[in-house]
Amino acid sequence: MKLALRELRRRPGRFVVATVILTLIALLLMFLGGLLDGLVASSTGALRAQRGQFIVYSSTSRNALVRSRIEPTTRTQVAGVAGAGNSGGLGSVQLGARIPGHGPRDLVPVVLLGYELAPRGLPQTPPGPGEVFADTTLKAQNVADGTVLELGPARSRVRVVGFVDDSQYLGQSTLWGSLATWQAVLSDNRPGERVADGVVQAIVVRQGAAHTTTATAIDAATGGATTTLTINQAINALPGVAQQQSVFNQIIGVTVVIAIVVVALFFALITIERTALYGVLKALGASSATLFWGVLLQALIVTLIASAIGIVASLILAAVIPPGSIPFIATPVRLATSVAFLVIAAVIGCAFSLRRVLKVDPAAAIGGGQ
Amino acid sequence: MFLALREVGRAKARFGLLMAAIALLVFLILTQQALQTGLITSFIGAIQRQSAPVLVYSVDGERTLQGSVITPDLEAGIARLPGVAESGRIGQSTFTVSVNGRSQSDAALIGYEKPSLGAPAPLSAGRLPTAPGEAVGSAGDVSIGDHVRIIGGQPGPELTVVGLARDAQIQVTPTLFVSWSDYVAASRAVNPDAKAILPSVIGVRPTPDLSADALATRINDALPQADSLTKSQAAADTPGVTAVQSSFQVIFLLFALVVPLVTGLFFLIITLQKSRALTLLRAIGAPTGVLVRALLVQVLIILGGGIIIGTLLYAPLSQLKVGSLSLRFDPTAVLTWAALLLVLGVISAFAAVQRVLKIDPVEATTGEGSR
Repeated sequence: MKLALRELRRRPGRFVVATVILTLIALLLMFLGGLLDGLVASSTGALRAQRGQFIVYSSTSRNALVRSRIEPTTRTQVAGVAGAGNSGGLGSVQLGARIPGHGPRDLVPVVLLGYELAPRGLPQTPPGPGEVFADTTLKAQNVADGTVLELGPARSRVRVVGFVDDSQYLGQSTLWGSLATWQAVLSDNRPGERVADGVVQAIVVRQGAAHTTTATAIDAATGGATTTLTINQAINALPGVAQQQSVFNQIIGVTVVIAIVVVALFFALITIERTALYGVLKALGASSATLFWGVLLQALIVTLIASAIGIVASLILAAVIPPGSIPFIATPVRLATSVAFLVIAAVIGCAFSLRRVLKVDPAAAIGGGQ
Repeated sequence: MFLALREVGRAKARFGLLMAAIALLVFLILTQQALQTGLITSFIGAIQRQSAPVLVYSVDGERTLQGSVITPDLEAGIARLPGVAESGRIGQSTFTVSVNGRSQSDAALIGYEKPSLGAPAPLSAGRLPTAPGEAVGSAGDVSIGDHVRIIGGQPGPELTVVGLARDAQIQVTPTLFVSWSDYVAASRAVNPDAKAILPSVIGVRPTPDLSADALATRINDALPQADSLTKSQAAADTPGVTAVQSSFQVIFLLFALVVPLVTGLFFLIITLQKSRALTLLRAIGAPTGVLVRALLVQVLIILGGGIIIGTLLYAPLSQLKVGSLSLRFDPTAVLTWAALLLVLGVISAFAAVQRVLKIDPVEATTGEGSR
């Protein structure tokens, strides 16, 4: 063990190239993972923020909020199953927002959401007419408490009265207001999508837990006019989310395999190079286990150094990437998972050297084989 | 040459492992290249395929078809501008549909008022709609003769597919090009509360004396509510396209760095290990050129093998569909990446070549050649 550490200290140059390659692979893993997290987070925040356990869509909507339409009679039926005060309407509209100080063509895309049941971070009672809470990402666009935004071609005016974290939807910043505000803005700006009084796009249902029996009961009560999903199901039903996760996870998987091959290659070569030395060490009494642990320790240290550089680079990337360009976020969980993958890859990669270490014959050290 | 091949043959595991690593990297690069191309084509293909040379969005639409709404005032303003030979409504929205009575699925409808401004061109099969209730579909998603029913609260129009257009999806969704009246009927079927169905964009054709670029500029100068773009600009500037391209470019850069580094490291270590044998070869008269050539032959064999295996792994995958996303085998991408990786790989072997060039045959007599 001491020998392995001493070699790392005295001859670091020998490990530089492997460290550089592993750093690139670490960065690749972290970048791919961060990209996936960024894409998912910016698409799903509004749903994750819900305090309810279920979202009820119309059965013909294919679980798309913008295509869903729940009539007042259906709302009453849902409320009958959910219990008084446990269900609330939800509506959305995507618009361009004019922000004071921005140029006349410099609009910011936003999604205005009307709600009745307050999501996490919002007061129980929705804000008054023409008032909205804004997602914190809008602060980067110079939106502050009291800022008046003009939405859509009709220039519907809404005043920001506070902020809410992590509530983006389909890659856009959100504004949260009452259902009345949503209906008014929708009707003014999207005459083709306007809805009659009492009509909403979806219903959020709050229950103690997400039992599937509740979903079944709601859909039965509405006579099949609705499809009730848990929040997680609703997130996975968002366009592209499941596909993004599957494709990115496969790419990350293959990248981990490449990391295994790189570690295996590098340490197999180093082991071959040291065969004679290992023979001498074995002749002096060192066991195969001791020698292998030395190789493993070196691999782990190289991997951890590469991971550390990868983490720093990822954090720098996350800090310097301008908002709205690449949806990259560096979360502690993702960084830790990437390091764990690399450590596992290092251990598996090193295992390829074990056979060679075991095969080293101490007799070779005294002239038997060299 | 003979030595190089013999060495590869005798150390199959060592060289095989490197070839496997390169094959995996090539496979990943090509797969991601196919994903990027497929994603962008499926995202904006319909914009590139439609026939209007200039598309006028509302500024509020942020250059997305579905987000843009053209008010009647803006529509009239566009039609009045000098340089506009003809203009026509184009609408886009996503609907729940049933194809041939099967279970529900998604479809984007693009409704156009005039076939010369919004219809897909060219068609890969069939013909353009000539009557209400007919549609051109994105090839691979529907077939000619398919019946597509719009599902909404009210009965919607039933469309018959009479033509197909390749690479004509929008927002990675199966897409149908229909007449404006069918588009309006479909929109009203899903939302009976709709006040008016307004176009998403206005397709515009310039007069013969004006280019599409010049007309787009003229419209933007005259109408502050308009965001006028040529067809190619509209496709390239669709939100998300640049982000997808930038994200993939970072990934490609990292992969393109890993391949030569792994190759370079491998051959440097191999050369160091062989230094005693190489010194001996030099001492018995082998010229440096022969040794360098042998090294480069090995580099080319490993890189070439890795690229071929990686491409063979990618070929069947490139025929698949990921959701609504069609992948495609792209020979240009294969050749470009193969050439790039070969060049970078050979350059990466420079350190090993330098090591060979430094070998002094005299060291064979002193024993220094072992390091």
